[in-house]
Amino acid sequence: MLGDSRKAQEVFQTTLREAALRAAHGELPNERFWLFREARWRCLEASETDLKAEPLEMEEHEINSGASSQIEGLKPAQLAIWISSAPDPQRTALALYYLAEFDYREVLDLAELKLNELSHLLLLGRRQLQAWLNSHAC
Amino acid sequence: MKTPRLSRKQRALASCAPITGEQTPDRRMRSAMVRASGSDEFVNQQDFDRAVAALVQAVPVPPEIVEWLTVKDLVLSPKRTWRKTVRNPAVLAIGIALVVITGVLVFHFIGRLNDFPGSGTARKLLTMAGSTRSVLLDPVNADAGTLSDLFFMKHGLEHYDVPPEFADLRTIGCRVFEDEESRRIAQIWVADKRMQFFLFPEERDAKTGAVLGFQGWRYIHQEGWVGAVTERNGVCFMAALRGRESDLAPYLAQKE
Repeated sequence: MLGDSRKAQEVFQTTLREAALRAAHGELPNERFWLFREARWRCLEASETDLKAEPLEMEEHEINSGASSQIEGLKPAQLAIWISSAPDPQRTALALYYLAEFDYREVLDLAELKLNELSHLLLLGRRQLQAWLNSHAC
Repeated sequence: MKTPRLSRKQRALASCAPITGEQTPDRRMRSAMVRASGSDEFVNQQDFDRAVAALVQAVPVPPEIVEWLTVKDLVLSPKRTWRKTVRNPAVLAIGIALVVITGVLVFHFIGRLNDFPGSGTARKLLTMAGSTRSVLLDPVNADAGTLSDLFFMKHGLEHYDVPPEFADLRTIGCRVFEDEESRRIAQIWVADKRMQFFLFPEERDAKTGAVLGFQGWRYIHQEGWVGAVTERNGVCFMAALRGRESDLAPYLAQKE
């Protein structure tokens, strides 16, 4: 979500501190994904203060049959930065989906999206990442 | 590879298909995945997603965070509401079964509340009353109250007396027969309301042999017939007719 492990750690700790405080006061919301929702908003707040690249039209390309080997050539940090630079809610959708810990209904709930919106954001993300991979390979 | 035709919703679901390939409990998702599995596009998407997810797993996480918690620990288990619990088919089936069992038990309990010594025999005789034809009986045209002497002298039946409430009614016929337990039963047919009287021995205590008597009149019902039963001197008398308690009540009220 942030593309920066130091910032991610800060958000994680702040979120846990908030949860501990609420739990101590008996005010922990009875909501299944509260912690993730809270962390997401804190990530979005934290990235608001960052320098932002000018929005530009991203190229898109159909997924190649050999895309998986192209992805294997990437470094994890490169992918993290690529996802974190996506505008929200696409960033949240990609981060939650590729974490592979939630099913699509949970992602819809957490990202506050509808099915067609999530589907569109993922399709767009794949096509843009493919185009980026293609340009990266050149 | 052939590209199957997918609905708009199925295409949307297929694009959010689980990366790990594990069986999803969502029926619509399973259906969309099965339909999409034949297309190159979906196969490429799955390969692509698996490669990206593997790379995401490889994103370094500070060890102090890893030590803290796993993702599953951070997800609160969903709270089961009453509505969800009740809608569970298993709970629903058990609930219905319990309601039915309770209904049967209550029905039997209410039935038992009206039971009295001799009620079992009285019910059997009520069933018989519905199938008896007057031609089976010996014709006797007399007051019902006078038949006690006939039963005593002809059949040796002691205390087979018609109570005063019904003693004045004219009879059409009567008979004495034995039931399956060899108890001698007197049956009288009366002209009034096609009523039938039954006289039969009261139940006795199996150990002491004492008569299990009861006081007053008791009503029983069986297959559209109603009977008013009383016990005197170890013999039960039942007046039976096809109808309701209100049809018998005037007779019982006369002498009270």
